[in-house]
Amino acid sequence: MTYQEEKLLFNQKTQCTIVQYDGTIKETDSNIFKWKVGASIYDVHPFFEIIKGFIEVFEKEETFYNFPCIHLEEKKLDKICDVTIKINTEEVVILLFDYSTKYYELNKIAQQKNESILKAKELELKNQYLIDKEKFKNSFIANINHEIRTPLTGILGFIEVLEKTNLNFEQEELARIIKRQSIHLNSLIEDMVDISKIESGKIKIVDERFLFINLVEGFEETYAKLAKERGIEFETHIDPNIQEYLIGDRTRVFQILNNILNNAFKFTEEGKVSLSVTKNYQRTNKLSVSFKIEDTGLGIQEENLNNIFDRFTRFNEDKQVSGTGLGLAIVKDLVDLLNGEIKVTSEPDKGTTFDIKLPFKFDVTKSTPEKKKKKYTLPETKKKFRVLVVEDEEATQFLLMKILISHGSFFVDVAINGQEAINYLERRNYDLVLMDLKLSKVDGYQATHMIRNNYGDKVISEVPIIGFTAKATEAERDKCLRSGMDDFIAKPFEQEDLLYKIVKQIAKKAAS
Amino acid sequence: MKLSKKVVLLGHFGVGKTSLFRRFIDNEFSEDYKVTLGVQIKKKVIEMPDGRELSMIIWDTEGHTDIEDTRKSYLLGSNAFIYVFDLTRIDTYKDLNQDLEYLSKNHPKVKVKVIGNKLDLVNEKEVTKKFEELNITVDCLTSAKTNKNVQDFFVNLAEEITA
Repeated sequence: MTYQEEKLLFNQKTQCTIVQYDGTIKETDSNIFKWKVGASIYDVHPFFEIIKGFIEVFEKEETFYNFPCIHLEEKKLDKICDVTIKINTEEVVILLFDYSTKYYELNKIAQQKNESILKAKELELKNQYLIDKEKFKNSFIANINHEIRTPLTGILGFIEVLEKTNLNFEQEELARIIKRQSIHLNSLIEDMVDISKIESGKIKIVDERFLFINLVEGFEETYAKLAKERGIEFETHIDPNIQEYLIGDRTRVFQILNNILNNAFKFTEEGKVSLSVTKNYQRTNKLSVSFKIEDTGLGIQEENLNNIFDRFTRFNEDKQVSGTGLGLAIVKDLVDLLNGEIKVTSEPDKGTTFDIKLPFKFDVTKSTPEKKKKKYTLPETKKKFRVLVVEDEEATQFLLMKILISHGSFFVDVAINGQEAINYLERRNYDLVLMDLKLSKVDGYQATHMIRNNYGDKVISEVPIIGFTAKATEAERDKCLRSGMDDFIAKPFEQEDLLYKIVKQIAKKAAS
Repeated sequence: MKLSKKVVLLGHFGVGKTSLFRRFIDNEFSEDYKVTLGVQIKKKVIEMPDGRELSMIIWDTEGHTDIEDTRKSYLLGSNAFIYVFDLTRIDTYKDLNQDLEYLSKNHPKVKVKVIGNKLDLVNEKEVTKKFEELNITVDCLTSAKTNKNVQDFFVNLAEEITA
């Protein structure tokens, strides 16, 4: 059975047309299209222009060309046909097989299939767009954070310097306000960075062994002062059955409790705030600790309780209380990250209670006490110690000089980039380098690498280097230490911390 | 003198071959995606700068993810292939070089042009960077929706295939 005969068996709607070499229609049965004898096939539909080419290459053998699924139209008639063109020595035979019904059915299936693929691709693209947007947002927050921290370092540092000068009462009060506002601004930046870290999954939960009582006592100390200032009471209770040392993420637990306590104090004008810590349950080396923070403050309306952990949620706009509305969202995210639970109950004008349950582990074998911050003193010598400050920001240069010179034990030189620092080191012996990381030309990492690797003279290659930057991340700290620095300090820093680190490095170097 | 040249649009499905076809021939555009089954053929007469008239017979073929699946008979007697891809979908051009190699191997005498379509949806600089990464050369970036570069592309192609 030939191809044509086979097709005819399945489809009665066919049209046979005989065309002369010049394209004139010689005969047609007009079963599908009403073509006129004598008309040119090339004027019937542009598809047939292909015949011209076939005729040009025709030799002697009868030749068939098959074209499946060709859309042919004539006036208002649209058909999808398989077309067979047969060329012999005398004429061209055109056979049309109308498969419109079958093809339209296939068309529906193809449409659905392709649409679903395209839809999936579109969703993929939208998803990618959202991921990119999120990345941009996080990097924007990280950058803006860096940009804000740098001037803030100067402000906080200079206030500390200013506080040590002879101020009258009014000036002291103004300095205190500036300091409080700057600390608040710094905590807002911390909130923004935390939220962006949580969203991008960059917060890592670290298990460390720590003296649990110290954590609670730290709150007692801080908030007892605040309570006194505010004229309210602050009570703490700690279950004596809780192990002395616990294993958990101390920093995040501190952050959670500190945030809730801060809120409790913000919204309590009279009465008391209390923190009660009890053991919930204990199994093998695991235990659950319940932290209950109660206040007699403003309270929260029942309808608002469900949204209390949403971002940018604030219910007391008229109370002159500052905040981003991010604090409790961070708390909730951190509690979730620690696999804990948090519940809140509240009554307007009576107060609020936060009940937080967090899991910890404890080590049944070890009883080593927690390492205390070791004290360091500068080596005894009549000379002053020479510190090279590498910093391009004028305000920070001035602040560091002020802090170091006021201390009385240091001479200070300032370089504005890594290359200049190296030039100084080649000319003079230094006891320590304070290296900013983001510098023009040669940055802090490159300069450190050059100092550590390019010099045989140990006075240069082993000089203690402390990196400092406004990018206060763990990754940045690790990068500093990996690049060969001895320590790292984040901006804005407190004078005490900075001096501690400087003294520590100089003392360690002298002892080695 | 009236010339006649056959031009075939090729590429993956959904890249906008039919939209370019309709934009060039009828100056129409629709946001709705309608699958092309088999091939649609239309003619447009282009007046050449030297006064000649060219009947450009354009075959708008159904899309395939693999160029080798294109029906062989559709490519017979062609004067040019236009390989169209979607600038928003890398899948539609990541194998461009292999597809062009296939075309030049099997149809060495046919001119091949490459179009990146849906320019209105992308950033031109970003996609150009992507082309460099993938080491691909694109002849023209178009938007069937806004008609950007569409008419110029076909007119230039007409000049090239009649030169």
